Amino acid sequence: MGRFKNNKKGRVNVKPIAKNNQANVDHVTGDKIPKSFVFSRTKLPGSVKQLQMDLRKLMLPYTALSLKEKKRNTLRDFLNVSGPMGVTHFLMLKKTASALSLRVARTPQGPTLTFKIHQYSLASDIAQSQTRPRCPPDLFKNPPLIVLSGFGTQELHLKLATIMFQNIFPAIDINTVKLSTCQRLVLLNYNKDTKLIDFRHYSIRLQPVGVSRKLRNFVQTHKAPDLRNLQDVSDFITKAGYGSESEGDEEAATVTLSSDLGRVNKGSTKSAVKLQEIGPRMTMQLVRVEEGLCSGGIIFSEDGNVDGKNKQDGDEEDDAAGEEESEEGEEGSEEDMDEDAED
Amino acid sequence: MAKKKEKVVDSGLDTIKSMVHQHSEFFDTLVELIPARFYLPDETERKWFPGLSKAQKARAKRKTTENLKKARRDRLDPEKSALTTLDLLKQKIEKEKKKLSNVVAEDDDESEEEADHKKAKSDSVTYEELRQRLHRKIDELKGGRGGSERPRSHEKRKKIVPNKRKREKTVEEEEDKAKLDVEEAAKDLTYGYVKIDDDEEHGKGSKKRRLSKSRELERALKLEAAKKDPEKGEVIAKKHSWQAATSRAAGIKVHDDPKLLKQSIHKEKKRQEKNAEKWKERVEGQQKVRVEKQQKRSGNIAERIEQNKQRKIAKREKKLMRPGFEGRKEGVINDGK
Repeated sequence: MGRFKNNKKGRVNVKPIAKNNQANVDHVTGDKIPKSFVFSRTKLPGSVKQLQMDLRKLMLPYTALSLKEKKRNTLRDFLNVSGPMGVTHFLMLKKTASALSLRVARTPQGPTLTFKIHQYSLASDIAQSQTRPRCPPDLFKNPPLIVLSGFGTQELHLKLATIMFQNIFPAIDINTVKLSTCQRLVLLNYNKDTKLIDFRHYSIRLQPVGVSRKLRNFVQTHKAPDLRNLQDVSDFITKAGYGSESEGDEEAATVTLSSDLGRVNKGSTKSAVKLQEIGPRMTMQLVRVEEGLCSGGIIFSEDGNVDGKNKQDGDEEDDAAGEEESEEGEEGSEEDMDEDAED
Repeated sequence: MAKKKEKVVDSGLDTIKSMVHQHSEFFDTLVELIPARFYLPDETERKWFPGLSKAQKARAKRKTTENLKKARRDRLDPEKSALTTLDLLKQKIEKEKKKLSNVVAEDDDESEEEADHKKAKSDSVTYEELRQRLHRKIDELKGGRGGSERPRSHEKRKKIVPNKRKREKTVEEEEDKAKLDVEEAAKDLTYGYVKIDDDEEHGKGSKKRRLSKSRELERALKLEAAKKDPEKGEVIAKKHSWQAATSRAAGIKVHDDPKLLKQSIHKEKKRQEKNAEKWKERVEGQQKVRVEKQQKRSGNIAERIEQNKQRKIAKREKKLMRPGFEGRKEGVINDGK
């Protein structure tokens, strides 16, 4: 594709530097592959910038990793670019004095979910807190799997959130998927009491069950084992090793593989699924759902079902585009004030 | 016999005693060789020099130098008694014996431990207090910047290992809780989309039922009218907006805005008109070109015929244009009566 010139008012366009030759349509399933942009319209402080980078890595490979945005770029510019490139979702971070919020929106005129982030931890902090952080080289070459828990099917806004998240990541085709491509997992857990959503990002690792640790280590890393205290090599193999300390708890977490995965896990034997946390950790709360892309009527707001007071008619929408945003901004600040009062 | 035995026993005992004495003397000489500084543990309070101010540091330095000088003088002074390692060791042992006897007399073990504890505490108060003050200051400075809850580097180092008993109890409780949580959570899990051949995702397979834009416009207008309806308008509007949002989130395109539909219809019309014009122009152009070509062709043909004729005439003429001859035969003179 050539360069996109935004003809109106000579505004400078966004130049996404992602030179990906990706297909828009998945060759296997025939569906459109969802792609995303992670960006922010305001200036972000240092740690939030890192959070943005972590989110970008999370969404790999179907996102623009080195997306450069300028101050002059508005949402309109991003929208114009997203059409030809086939970008379907926008993830926007916004830091104001009161709160840090993440907006997940579907591009052409899709709904916008606004989440308020109460707490977050960066990927680098999590790696520092672990004794053996793990990052195999092709970890980000495939999209992650997603698991949602506790959302239920009753409440509309939660259902919308599940559908939204399920569609951000491409679907997997059972017939053709390779086990080695499922390496990451995104977990969203909804807590009914506090109405907070926990966001976690793990890397998946399979380990054969029932093999002593010494043997497993030896087969995986070809380091010569220490045979100082043994009389005979047969002792090394037959000596009852401890296995894993937490093996008893993980009875439920074992699967029977259908095919071989790597050198260690053989097909039709039991393997344990181990999750190790990578990536950012967030605690967020669904605050607002808007009909349009950061515009349109509010169909769900705050915690209680305070419904769209600000729903405009279709005729007024185009005239009062600016007014609407300002009105919404006022409403937003009012809501923020309410939240602060509650806190 | 008994006497002999006693003698033997006595001499046996004597030899043992002498042997022990010899050994003890040997060890004593060894111990005396070692200076007391290295052999006996140092029980003096150590000041934490890095934590003191400049004036305090200077004072402490002066004190140590004075102590050193005094010690050197005492060591080399012949009148003062030189305490060898052995003597110091003996003193230490006596002190400990006294302590034990005191303890037994009072029948209170813990007081000694407390005494030791307090001593240790007073030693470390300087460390701990100063360190805490430093951390408080750092936290204050960093307190303004909110947001991240990352484990701070200095907090990380404090690995407070709880008592074993406490740890076991909490671990058990946590395990039980975790099991309950896992059971509950397992009932309510939703996963990402998995594509199986026979199924089709909601509404995406219905491409055949695509309405034309005008029909869609009619539908959208009807919907808008229904929304404005006083009695059930609210309900319809709400239901529709939720439905639309859900299907849009799933990737299905929802056409419900009459204005946008009108715009797109208008655009489509314009596009069609433009295409029709282009086609017309193309056809005209082709015709023109064809006509031109035909004309040129007929012109060329006519020219060629002319040229052929002329060539033939010229050829015939050439045959009769001999030198010394006037051309065509005009007949005999007598013929024209």
